[in-house]
Amino acid sequence: MSNIVLSARELTRHYAVSRGFMKGSATVKALNGVSFELAAGKTLAVVGESGCGKSTLARALTLIEEPTSGELALDGVSLTRVGHADLKAMRRKVQMVFQNPYASLNPRQKIGTQLAEPLAINSDLSAADRDAKVKAMMTKVGLRPEHFYRYPHMFSGGQRQRIAIARAMMLNPKIVVADEPTSALDVSIQAQVLNLFMDLQQEFGTAYVFISHNLSVVEHVADDVMVMYLGRAVEVGSKAALYAKPLHPYTQALLSATPSIHPEDRKIKIKIVGELPSPLNPPSGCAFHKRCPYAVERCKQEVPELRPIGDRQVACHRVEEINV
Amino acid sequence: MMSLLTIKNLSVAFGNPANPFRAVENMDLTVNQGEIVGIVGESGSGKSVTMMALMGLIDAPGRVTADELSFDGKNLLKMSARERRKIVGKDIAMIFQDPMTSLNPSYTVGYQIMEVLKVHQGLRGAALKQRALELMEMVEIPAAKSRLDAYPHQLSGGMSQRVVIAMAIACNPKLLIADEPTTALDVTIQAQIMELLVNLQKSQNMALIMITHDLAVVAEVADRVAVMYAGQVAELGRVPELFRQPAHPYTEALLSSIPEHSKGAERLSTLPGIVPGQYDRPSGCLLSPRCPYAQERCRAERPLLTPSANGSVRCHFPLIAQPVEIRDRKVAQ
Repeated sequence: MSNIVLSARELTRHYAVSRGFMKGSATVKALNGVSFELAAGKTLAVVGESGCGKSTLARALTLIEEPTSGELALDGVSLTRVGHADLKAMRRKVQMVFQNPYASLNPRQKIGTQLAEPLAINSDLSAADRDAKVKAMMTKVGLRPEHFYRYPHMFSGGQRQRIAIARAMMLNPKIVVADEPTSALDVSIQAQVLNLFMDLQQEFGTAYVFISHNLSVVEHVADDVMVMYLGRAVEVGSKAALYAKPLHPYTQALLSATPSIHPEDRKIKIKIVGELPSPLNPPSGCAFHKRCPYAVERCKQEVPELRPIGDRQVACHRVEEINV
Repeated sequence: MMSLLTIKNLSVAFGNPANPFRAVENMDLTVNQGEIVGIVGESGSGKSVTMMALMGLIDAPGRVTADELSFDGKNLLKMSARERRKIVGKDIAMIFQDPMTSLNPSYTVGYQIMEVLKVHQGLRGAALKQRALELMEMVEIPAAKSRLDAYPHQLSGGMSQRVVIAMAIACNPKLLIADEPTTALDVTIQAQIMELLVNLQKSQNMALIMITHDLAVVAEVADRVAVMYAGQVAELGRVPELFRQPAHPYTEALLSSIPEHSKGAERLSTLPGIVPGQYDRPSGCLLSPRCPYAQERCRAERPLLTPSANGSVRCHFPLIAQPVEIRDRKVAQ
């Protein structure tokens, strides 16, 4: 297929962490073999709790960090085969929106300067042309032209996130990776920012990798959903199928743990005991087995592979048995 | 029935006395024994400041005024700081949003739990340790005995929050105030902590005030909920009726801006603009610049909290008609 703009195969990222004097270092497998494909104009949501590798994935996809192994292809070009100079060109195609709009903008630069910077670095446009482009983009994200000369502290959280989104869109990227873009915002502002994301996607056909822990937000924006647990994908599928009938026990637990306003939307709570395991010392076999209500002996021994089950992929030994 | 906590016309003002900023304005709330009351609102709506005023945590230059602020028959306004300290932490306990910063990093969690018991209940020695252990088990901390000697940095966020809850319930409080208790936690841990709080509330017959920005959390556990906007109660009512049929346009807007509510919809409906700050509060209804139903009267005149079908609402033109029979009665609680 030609419209795949981003594909990852067996992407891993390991970190060496020091455990102290005379102890040698340990390896944290923050990302442990993640594969997916993303088509132009579509949204892939990555869901999971803290420590599941969502943000490491974002850093790998945006080329901030090099993956330890695995293959990443942007717009059909594999990154393992490109040189340093080409890498710079590739970076224009993928941009990022961060979680905290209070930390992701430079407090000492005017908004106009910050928005023009990507153009100054990556294009031959004259200063006047850059300013015109910045102003056009500011209108698109719902900022007024006079905001051009203001500093970040003069804006509210929602407006700052609009600025961050405008900055990501300046180079008309193929892919935008948004790491928890609305979790620092109030609900009514969150709705405005989500609408903006949807509008921009419609206008520019940008593909989104939308990282979030909020399942209601994900249900609203995503086409496909990847649920992660401790560095691995446990369930990947289309949003509709996954929300209608989650197959992996962890997905089921996550969905049932999400509170809902209306009693009729509530699911029977699946009680999940215990906490997220430390990635420094992951459990043997299936990483979820210590908290899983269905775990058997095999789950302690063998790591389940992601395998196709009907319309999606699930990594669970007992998926057929528990979903009869 | 006499209510456990009565707040009448509470205001908290900061800054210049000539032109103060009212973080909380004309707040009315009653809480009965054994009841769960939710307070929801966006940031800056005055949720936390209200509870800090109740706990006596507002320092000068902040000014707290109220017609009545009574707890369990005692007038909190007339109390000296010394008398108040005997109630706060014992009969009224509070847990905060970030468990990592509400524990002292330099002391073991066991020490911190025991400190509460020493101050308020005068326990010493083996009885003290025994009670601390009991509390740790009540909040379902696994291997409680070994965790007594753990420092906060050795515990996860969920475990730290359990320790904070153990400290809060140490003296069997009559009222527990939880300020965003699960906001810093993951979804599965949030579900665990919420279940724990509700179970404790039931078994101890405590009143619980849940402050949160997450409407869904409140919808699942609370008996009544107060929706706050810009320092005022916009609407107060029973759950789930309030969520099914909101009377205030702000409640309606909040509900429809939640993605869950608009399944399949392409766009979420939103209120334009943001919550007014110190200098741009409108003279009429505080919501009037953002309200889709605003009329001339809304821009000119501030509405009062008046009885509605399901509690009370602060709106000139509530979305559900006010029933005649309760209009003459006093403001429903």
